Amino acid sequence: MFDKATLAWTLPWQDDWVTAVTFIGNTRKLAAGNRKGQILLWDLPEKPSGDAPVPVRRLDGHTNEVTRLLSTPDGKYLISASYDHSIRIWDMEAKPAGNEEIILDARTRAEVAKKAGSKAPPPAPGVKVDVQPAERVVALHKEWVLGLSMSRDGATLLSGDDAGEVVLWNRAEAKETRRWRIKGWAFAVAVSPDAQLALVSERFPLVFTPADQRNAVKIWDLTTGQVKHDLSAQFKMYIGSAAFSPDGKQVVIGHAGETERGKLFLIDAETGKKVREYAGHMGGITDVQFSADGKFLLSTGRDTVVRVWNVEDTKQVAELGKSRGGQFKDFLHALALTEDQRWLAAGDMVGQVLVYSA
Amino acid sequence: MRFVSYPTLLLTASVVLTSSTVRADETPLRQLIDAEVKAVWQRENVTPAPAASDAAFLRRIYLDLVGTIPTAAEAREFLADKDADKRAKLIDKLLDDPRYAEQQMNVWDQVLFGRRPPDSDLTQRREGFQKWLREKFAKNEPYDRWVRELLQAEGWTSEGPTMYFAQYKNDPESAATAVSRIFLGTQLQCARCHDHPFDKWKQVDFYGLAGFLVRQTFVEGNQNGKRHYLLVEKSSGEVLFSGPAAEQKPGKKGDPVPARYLGGDLLQEPPLPAGFKEPELKGIKTVQKPLFSRKQKLAEWITAADNPYFAKAISNRIWAQFMGKGLVDPVDDLRDNRPASHPKLFQAVHEQLVAQKFDLKWLVRELVNSQAYQLSVSGAVTDASPRFYERSRVRPLSAEEIMASFRSATGFDDAVKAAGGNPATTKTPEATYFLPYFGEPTNGRGDFQASLNEHLFLNNSGSLRQSMIQPRKGNLADRLLTSKEAWEERVDELFLSVLTRLPREQERKKFVEYLTADKQAGAAIEDAIWVLLNTAEFRFNH
Amino acid sequence: MNPLCKPVEHINRRAFLKGTLATAAGGAFLNFGSLFNSDSIAAEAKKLGKKCILLWMNGGASQIDTFDMKPGTDNAGPFRPINTKVSGMPVCEYLPKVAQHADKLAVIRSMKTSEPDHPGGIMSMHTGYRPAVNVPYPEIGAMVAKFNGPADSDLPSCVHLGGAGYGGGGGAGFLGPKFQPFSVGRDGRLPSFTTPYLKADSEQRRNDLLRFMEQDAAKESSAEPFEAHRLAKEKAWRLLQAKGVFDASQEWPKYRDLYGDTEFGRGCMMARRLIEAGVAFVEVGQENYDSHADNFTVHKATLSVLDPGWSGLMTDLKDRGLLDDTLIIWMGEVGRTPQINNRVGRDHYINGWTVVLAGGGTKGGMVYGATNANGVGVKDDPVSEGDLFATIFTALGINPRAKHYVGPRPITAAPEKSKVVKEVLA
Repeated sequence: MFDKATLAWTLPWQDDWVTAVTFIGNTRKLAAGNRKGQILLWDLPEKPSGDAPVPVRRLDGHTNEVTRLLSTPDGKYLISASYDHSIRIWDMEAKPAGNEEIILDARTRAEVAKKAGSKAPPPAPGVKVDVQPAERVVALHKEWVLGLSMSRDGATLLSGDDAGEVVLWNRAEAKETRRWRIKGWAFAVAVSPDAQLALVSERFPLVFTPADQRNAVKIWDLTTGQVKHDLSAQFKMYIGSAAFSPDGKQVVIGHAGETERGKLFLIDAETGKKVREYAGHMGGITDVQFSADGKFLLSTGRDTVVRVWNVEDTKQVAELGKSRGGQFKDFLHALALTEDQRWLAAGDMVGQVLVYSA
Repeated sequence: MRFVSYPTLLLTASVVLTSSTVRADETPLRQLIDAEVKAVWQRENVTPAPAASDAAFLRRIYLDLVGTIPTAAEAREFLADKDADKRAKLIDKLLDDPRYAEQQMNVWDQVLFGRRPPDSDLTQRREGFQKWLREKFAKNEPYDRWVRELLQAEGWTSEGPTMYFAQYKNDPESAATAVSRIFLGTQLQCARCHDHPFDKWKQVDFYGLAGFLVRQTFVEGNQNGKRHYLLVEKSSGEVLFSGPAAEQKPGKKGDPVPARYLGGDLLQEPPLPAGFKEPELKGIKTVQKPLFSRKQKLAEWITAADNPYFAKAISNRIWAQFMGKGLVDPVDDLRDNRPASHPKLFQAVHEQLVAQKFDLKWLVRELVNSQAYQLSVSGAVTDASPRFYERSRVRPLSAEEIMASFRSATGFDDAVKAAGGNPATTKTPEATYFLPYFGEPTNGRGDFQASLNEHLFLNNSGSLRQSMIQPRKGNLADRLLTSKEAWEERVDELFLSVLTRLPREQERKKFVEYLTADKQAGAAIEDAIWVLLNTAEFRFNH
Repeated sequence: MNPLCKPVEHINRRAFLKGTLATAAGGAFLNFGSLFNSDSIAAEAKKLGKKCILLWMNGGASQIDTFDMKPGTDNAGPFRPINTKVSGMPVCEYLPKVAQHADKLAVIRSMKTSEPDHPGGIMSMHTGYRPAVNVPYPEIGAMVAKFNGPADSDLPSCVHLGGAGYGGGGGAGFLGPKFQPFSVGRDGRLPSFTTPYLKADSEQRRNDLLRFMEQDAAKESSAEPFEAHRLAKEKAWRLLQAKGVFDASQEWPKYRDLYGDTEFGRGCMMARRLIEAGVAFVEVGQENYDSHADNFTVHKATLSVLDPGWSGLMTDLKDRGLLDDTLIIWMGEVGRTPQINNRVGRDHYINGWTVVLAGGGTKGGMVYGATNANGVGVKDDPVSEGDLFATIFTALGINPRAKHYVGPRPITAAPEKSKVVKEVLA
């Protein structure tokens, strides 16, 4: 179980910060995106031993930070959202368009070279990866796409941007079925498994001028387009991530940003009431999700730790990784969990993906 | 300790020490002041103002000595007194008033800290320092003695004189600048970056002086739940000097400069023992002594009777505090090449002060008993502080004086008492506005320019109006409103309360008219009080 | 008929004739406003009548995310440059409206200043001098008020709408409280004590009684402080007569779209109103730039407020023919590090950052100085805060070498060895 999880590999990807991760379908295929807009795929071995696996494919197209990665339940498609205003859909069964050699550990090489007194880092060899373009570029947004969420069947998606546009759309045709505008930026968006409800957190990130603050947290009824519950008065804070439970009855939100006490709050989706809270993060929370069986919550954030919580009794059952020293730490941007709950991955600002096995 | 570079001064000093005690007995300083000031009037062909009226003198001396105006009752009593010696007697009385210590503390607190000292979160909590300073004036402790104590300050910033140096923590250069300016009347700040263009000071003088203070260390701690520092002096550490500021390059480190008495010798000090290592200071709670104290040497040197600047600087400062302009002007820029306006007088003042063992109360008594201090404000001279002291100086009241005078004039404390309160523990209403609007720089430093905020506040503060000006049981407005006396009498009371004088005939007439016109008496009384509080006559000490 | 109503100049001219002044308590020795050799200069500048609006980016805006972008480098961040009509002056994509005014901007990319923290930076970027314990340098607004302000006006010559706040930028310093910045709300709301508690006729009656007292007293003594006090009282009364200029509620709906519906946008419009009403200097502050964490979301938000505010001001001033006589300065106390820290933030940076000048006295459509390829350090033509102030004063028609005496010490308007960046001047 999670409390026995150990670090299997650290996958280096030093080009830039790793900002999004996901597993493809119910496989051990891992996707990660970075601040430059690149996406890499790895096939993780069956057993957590041996050298760190190398990536097998690179998905080319985004030109700015990848904010969220999602896979359809059948593992056929990867969907990515980015600061470049686009959402891209990638065919996971597509043939490569070609291949390229990439270097994953340029920084380490430079450090080694520096220690050895040589000026230039050792040149290639790097790693040969296949490259692939997106099957479809979804242009529903005109600004940074900050939030992306998918229904259980993988057919419906909800995305939100920092112009305050929130769009409900179907994946097959990339066609919007509902669009609305909120006052703040849409930071966290989550759609319920049955695509009936959505939670959207709003914010305008100017903290010193009260007149400019537009914080809100609302649960929307997607069939009517109306606000079902306005939770803003209760959560006057920066909510940066959200996820519905697999049964759709509850939704969890995470307090993000520079806080020293990032808490998770579990909300009853029907009544809008807070059910429980989970305290322990030493920084703002960047990502949260339920385990497939709905019994656990996994979260990570600015304290560089992945924490696993028992949903029922709110106890922390595992703490993966250590808070890095110093007043300010690097932070983990995102986490992902396989459907069998045996593998867990986290994207690290340092330029690596941490893979844990349980 | 020797001053090899000042043979002439040494000579002068020794002459003083032998002769001045005798001279002090011969001619009181107050007479010498008047003789010298008069001599310059004649030389400059200046006509002095007539002597101040009793009323004008009364207001002036109250503000200067005890920091507030007198009450109407005190004014009536003094004005009615027929004793020819009543002014001198009042001076003696006020010099022994506890408010004298408070007022001098306020003045010196501003000299030493100003309105906005660095690290205000810490330095605004200087009640401990103020208590220490107040006691010095209450006991009339000789100036050289308390300055020595101040300069050797150590221990927690929560008590005693230590807070003074906390303004300059980690900045021995600024500490040196301040110490030399305030206690020695010398302007060294130019020499921080380059040799002084108009004075003799070189950069090495500046850094040499800073060398005495560089070992001060402030260990952070906690006193009464608040951040405070323990000031200790280390046994090692030097000021680094890296040449003129214009030649600085990034990363350039300076060379250590030895401590040096200003314009004098290098400090002689024992070498540190071989292999000496500075003990860890972090977290210590009590003072630890250095192997050799540079601060002690500096304090002794500065406050020595034969220091070439110390007695001159304090004499000039006290003179300016009461007379307006310093005999050397500006007050804290004594230079070899800048003569005093009244050289003989200047010499007599500081020589006699040394002979009187730095008894500041003695000096103040002599100054305010002089005829020069007691001139009226009339005349054609426009300067706030006339060069030849031909009329009284006009200085704005400090924020503290304004607040105290508002309280006195409006009978605020009487109203507090009538409501069962304790005036001593009742803060002045709107102090948070009085302080910024009147606090700087109209606190007696420099020339006066009125600020807009001050007038907007006085004109339109409803809270000021309600708490002080409108009738409340026991206060001035209430007294005037409920009085059965004739309106003429009440106008007299109003003028005595606020302006410490009786109204002129046309004023009395005008005010009686105003108060008896067809409006509500309460509103008219309020207006009348407001008007007097807003006059220039009230705003200044003149 | 009012004997007290003399031009303010009257008192000022007499102040010129004085040397250094005495100090009663004798702490510092300030001789407010005493200047011998800058009298005629002030008169000259007044003829030019240049006004100045400082858009103060409190906390320090990021140069590499605005006017000195370094696309393709590790320091670039997620913002992208857009081209403007001026070649070599790409501007951040989130300043699209300001970008349309590129031909009027002089972008100085090589600021190399000395104070890395807020209090020191706010002070030195308001005075042109490093803060000193013994010299209370006046902030730029007080200087402009003194040299370019009207001799006699109902309104204060220097007004702050947010920004450095009371005293943070130095205040009037040794120029004296006559030039003390008058602070109103960020959006131009009047501060406390500007609403009389008496009815107009009651107040008139009360004020006339005070005038009666002062008239009488004026015969008794000629001492200058008395007169200064009386003039200030009259001025405070007159300000309230003129306070209508601060009420922009009628005009705002018409201009909301141009300036953006924010406090800052409203402040920018108020700045224009005040300049029109004859105020010499207005500072409009914008908060939130100090993005040690989350630099990009913070800057994207602040720039979305800045863009319409600043561009709207330029457009409005231009339409009214005021832009050529009004210098707009865009700056904060520091720049921000080219490197991105591990809080997705940028810290304070003083070794290569950007200030932008526009309008009155400057040459538009130009870039001065350069930082290195990755934004670290100045490559060409470093400009210190002193140089910047010498340049600003020159643009405003104020001699940067004009002297004021603080005690015995002559202090020039801009530091003695500062150089004027002539390239950016018209």
